Amino acid sequence: MVVRIIKNERVKGETIMNFWEKITGSDMTKEMKSFESRVKKLPADYQAAWGEINANLWPHSDFTGRNLIPILDGVLGLLEETAADGQSVQEVLGDDIKGFCSALASEEGAKTIRDKWREQLNKNIAKKLGK
Amino acid sequence: MLENLTEMLKGVLEGCVLEIISRKETYGYEITRSLNALGFTDVVEGTVYTILIRLEKNKLVEITKKPSDMGPPRKFFAINDAGREELRRFWDKWLFVSSKMNELKERQS
Repeated sequence: MVVRIIKNERVKGETIMNFWEKITGSDMTKEMKSFESRVKKLPADYQAAWGEINANLWPHSDFTGRNLIPILDGVLGLLEETAADGQSVQEVLGDDIKGFCSALASEEGAKTIRDKWREQLNKNIAKKLGK
Repeated sequence: MLENLTEMLKGVLEGCVLEIISRKETYGYEITRSLNALGFTDVVEGTVYTILIRLEKNKLVEITKKPSDMGPPRKFFAINDAGREELRRFWDKWLFVSSKMNELKERQS
């Protein structure tokens, strides 16, 4: 079955790559690897903050975590810029890393799997109620 | 100066940032420093960053990447027509809120 799907996709050229990357998650592995090497170039306090940001963003992830990749990429850009300015990470992010992360996730519209379940539940109930 | 302004500033910081951008094309660090110099000393660049993302998402600013002397290229922000319109609305709202707040305070005494 899977083979047949891939065969059909192959005709479309580039789609096969995206499809392959999507089911294996290899696109994300690649992104995470490149993040890692960028993070290693940051000062120690920045690296610690990066870890904390990751931990705080995961609850906002969708099923695969793919939605977090652009958010993380942007934050890493911010950290690289501010580290180059010679600021400490404390100056840049303040004390409220958790608040920073939830602001980020909501700005970028990252919906967690729980949000989706909630939506679905609400929809189903509305349907049952004949709305 | 005053401490714990964060909660109260939340609603107006976006307008502040947009106003600063409207004067000249600028970037996160410079915006943060202008806000600090104005007296909002608790505002950090991380907060400004989340606001800039919101402005970008709502298409109120134009972004150009420019090389920097140190480190990676910087994102510069300039206001566009939609941004100017939003800024005008912001100041209208602010005028309304602040006049009502003053009214309330005066009436009480």
